[in-house]
Amino acid sequence: MKTDSAWKAISTWFGGGSIIWTLLGLALLLLVDAVWVKDFFTLEWRDGHLYGTPVDILHQGSKVMLLALGMTLVIATGGVDLSVGSLMAVAGAIAAWALTAGGMSAASALPLALLVTTLIGSLSGLLVAVLGVQPIVATLVVMVAGRGIAMLVTGGQILTLQDPTLRFIGGGYFLGLPFTVTLVVALLALTLFLTRRTAFGLFIEATGDNETASRFCGVPVRLVKVLVYAFSGFCAALAGIVATGNIHAADSARVGEMMELDAIFAVVVGGTALTGGRFHLLGSLLGALLIQTLTTTMYNLGVPPTVAPVPKAVVIVLVCLLQSPVFQARLRTWKKAKTPEVTA
Amino acid sequence: MKKRALLLLALTPFLLTQCGDGSKGGDSSSSNSLTIGFAQAGAESAWRTAETESITREAEQRGVTLKFSDAQGKQENQIKAVRGFIAQGVDAIILAPIVETGWEPVLKEAQRAEIPVVLVDRGVQVSDDGLYATLIASDFVAEGQMAADWLAKKTGGKANIIELQGTPGAAPAIDRKKGFEQGIAAHPEMKIIASQSGDFRRSQGKEVMEALVKAHPNLTAVYAHNDDMALGAIQALEAAGKKPGTDVLVVSIDGVKDAFIAMKDGQLNCTVECNPLLGPNAFDAVEKAVAGETLPKKTVVQDRLFEASQAAAELPNRQY
Amino acid sequence: MRLLRRQHIPLLATVGMLIVLFSVASALYPGFASLRVVANLFSDNAFLGIVAVGMTFVILSGGIDLSVGAVLAFTTILIASLVGAGWHPLLAISVALVLGSGFGAAMGWLIHRFILPPFLVTLAGMFFARGMAFLVQAQSAVVSHPFYDALGDLRLQIGPKAYLPITALLFLLVVLVGIVIARRSRFGRAVYAIGGAEASALMMGLPVGRTKVRVYALSGFCASLGGVAATLYMGSGNPAMGSGLELDAIAAVVIGGTLLTGGVGSVFGTLAGVLIFGTIQSALVFDGRLNSWWLRIVIASLLLAFILLQKALARSASAHP
Repeated sequence: MKTDSAWKAISTWFGGGSIIWTLLGLALLLLVDAVWVKDFFTLEWRDGHLYGTPVDILHQGSKVMLLALGMTLVIATGGVDLSVGSLMAVAGAIAAWALTAGGMSAASALPLALLVTTLIGSLSGLLVAVLGVQPIVATLVVMVAGRGIAMLVTGGQILTLQDPTLRFIGGGYFLGLPFTVTLVVALLALTLFLTRRTAFGLFIEATGDNETASRFCGVPVRLVKVLVYAFSGFCAALAGIVATGNIHAADSARVGEMMELDAIFAVVVGGTALTGGRFHLLGSLLGALLIQTLTTTMYNLGVPPTVAPVPKAVVIVLVCLLQSPVFQARLRTWKKAKTPEVTA
Repeated sequence: MKKRALLLLALTPFLLTQCGDGSKGGDSSSSNSLTIGFAQAGAESAWRTAETESITREAEQRGVTLKFSDAQGKQENQIKAVRGFIAQGVDAIILAPIVETGWEPVLKEAQRAEIPVVLVDRGVQVSDDGLYATLIASDFVAEGQMAADWLAKKTGGKANIIELQGTPGAAPAIDRKKGFEQGIAAHPEMKIIASQSGDFRRSQGKEVMEALVKAHPNLTAVYAHNDDMALGAIQALEAAGKKPGTDVLVVSIDGVKDAFIAMKDGQLNCTVECNPLLGPNAFDAVEKAVAGETLPKKTVVQDRLFEASQAAAELPNRQY
Repeated sequence: MRLLRRQHIPLLATVGMLIVLFSVASALYPGFASLRVVANLFSDNAFLGIVAVGMTFVILSGGIDLSVGAVLAFTTILIASLVGAGWHPLLAISVALVLGSGFGAAMGWLIHRFILPPFLVTLAGMFFARGMAFLVQAQSAVVSHPFYDALGDLRLQIGPKAYLPITALLFLLVVLVGIVIARRSRFGRAVYAIGGAEASALMMGLPVGRTKVRVYALSGFCASLGGVAATLYMGSGNPAMGSGLELDAIAAVVIGGTLLTGGVGSVFGTLAGVLIFGTIQSALVFDGRLNSWWLRIVIASLLLAFILLQKALARSASAHP
């Protein structure tokens, strides 16, 4: 009984009971790795930082984690943001342009990229909030146009970048861990502060739960919507800069491709419902970690990337099923039917 | 009603500015100069962009009106573009097919309209090779073989190789794998210890190599199906504490500018150039085909292998 | 009367836009205003159109189906490899259609039975079908069979140098059947009712669950029929085909005046939406000077312009009834 309530406390802190299933999935996957992948958990201290596959997972997974934080808030308002993958490309392209053709230093180029990308992101917010366009359509428009803008900025080339700051953000180490981990933690702290210590979080949940009622209660629904899309754009910009720094180049055509789906997947696996309302930031991060672990496992097991979507699909459906109240209820009645004397 | 008219008005000039003086195409076909349609596959890599630029530049120099269409990596768009060119009645079509199959119906249509089609950089599978005028392309199998031969010579026929494949199912990926395997077949001590697709991307090349270098620390060489993956792999090797170029030999294909920079820095050992500057060849073929000459079915573009020692001298000449 | 007119305004606007767009393109590009270009519109967009008709029903019911592009690709490569293995094309097509419909029905069942979000279930469906397509065969393959070639060569002449091939005829047939199902069948009315208000539909005693499963089965069927049309169009199967097709189909349905929230829209509107999409693409090919990255921006702007126009019309229609 006592452990039960302790577990409950922990799980609510992590964002609701559904998180158990995400953790369970992750544990299962790690078990597969432990058995089939050689030296999966081997960690060494090398050149002043930790080195090993788990570190890679944290590092490569950080892009989806950053996206997932912004996506969580968008989904909590009952929307969805398909443009984040393209916005990553926009941020990378602008940073590359400013650093090369623009002749700027990283100190001004990166904020510029963040600012412009956030503004483009808030464009979909404006479309949704002010013009009443459906989120899928509004962000689809930004998604299609965004990739075009990014290609236009880099002239269709892959621009190689020498800038040390950018390279540090994408591939440097801080406190023995990839710097991107610090970035994720910092963004998480910021998001938690904004949503748990101010009324913003409450407004978001209210908007997602019942928009009309919220408006009557004086919640600035439109402003909230514009802000969450802007924030999602900001997160995408950070992820774009990380991705660009990671490969030391701005690859407008390919960076962030299909990543919006990974981000949505992470959020939902993390326990936030697509219908909006309550949201779980830590759950989203766990979801992102689950995806990256899955991807890395695929690489290690030699599964070609074209077939890799199949296990991903299975995981999505399983996690969704396990989180579904209907399925849980069925499971319970099934269990009861099997062991009637115990429950009686 | 008012609003509707207003919005229509707002939309029209937008279309007009985008389309501007598009009527030129029709006029020029009556005069001497040709109108050529170019159905490009996409703009996914620097190599592709260089090819597009080469063809556009050549068209300008020869005073040819070029109708350009970018399929954005989708075959269905490319077929639509070719059919659009046929409907417009262009004099000839240059096609850079995304995949090898699926061209028979549309090429038959071009044949019926008596419009010659020149294929660049990739062949097509059709029942009758009379459906296209000629193919101008590199030999992907030979490229893989050249890379293998170089590696065999350099290592004395002994290597543990990790192969980074291109997009599964893509012709260059299949042929470059085949050529490389043929090349190392004569050397029993050259082994591919792991082979995984990096989807021709720099980021994927890095991510895959990060995983593979930990699973196979005994590697001595990396063979990547294109430069972008090799450049990503080099970063992963460095992060793993290996010295790319010395501890682990890195060979790749394409010969883009960044590869030459990496060779100059001693991180990449060699690259086999796959020349995208097909413009002059393509337009020579087009002019002959329009004049009714019969062309050889395939013109193989000669590819060269560049070693690290040549990189510094060659770098200024690189256009892409 | 008045109510009828109000309902039809977005549809009229879409058709009007199509006419304006086609006229502008015809004025700009010599040779655009020809029967041949019109025939091409139908044949080039046949598989997109067939998929979009299925998508219309899903969206009308208040759902969404992201798996269609992948199911289409799976169908093309399945047919190619089955025919390659010596099956008769008709048998291969039947198997593919049954698999496509079954796959859709399975997704519909998950969505209905466990109240899962359609977006996620069909997203998983997309991943699954795409991966399976590559498992069947990673490389594109030719469909070579005398029967298939004969089928692919079937065409109806509608003017000088203008033909409607079998794919275009199939597309038109699907549109017609779609209109009849939507307007004249009990299933169609149930779809509109569920999309309008699911709770009321349930209270009215409509078979909500069965209808939902059928809607996704229908979309799966249309996706695989689109795959059949694609193999006839290209004479080959390709597991990488149709990526992003789901978004094109959704865009065509939305341009056609169907609301993503469900309950409002029409199959005929989708036809107009697909043709608008095709006209824009054709016009850009005729222009032939547009940089590919500009192309994306132009397409996005046009999509946005259409949606905003529709919004404005719907608003003015409801403001002045």
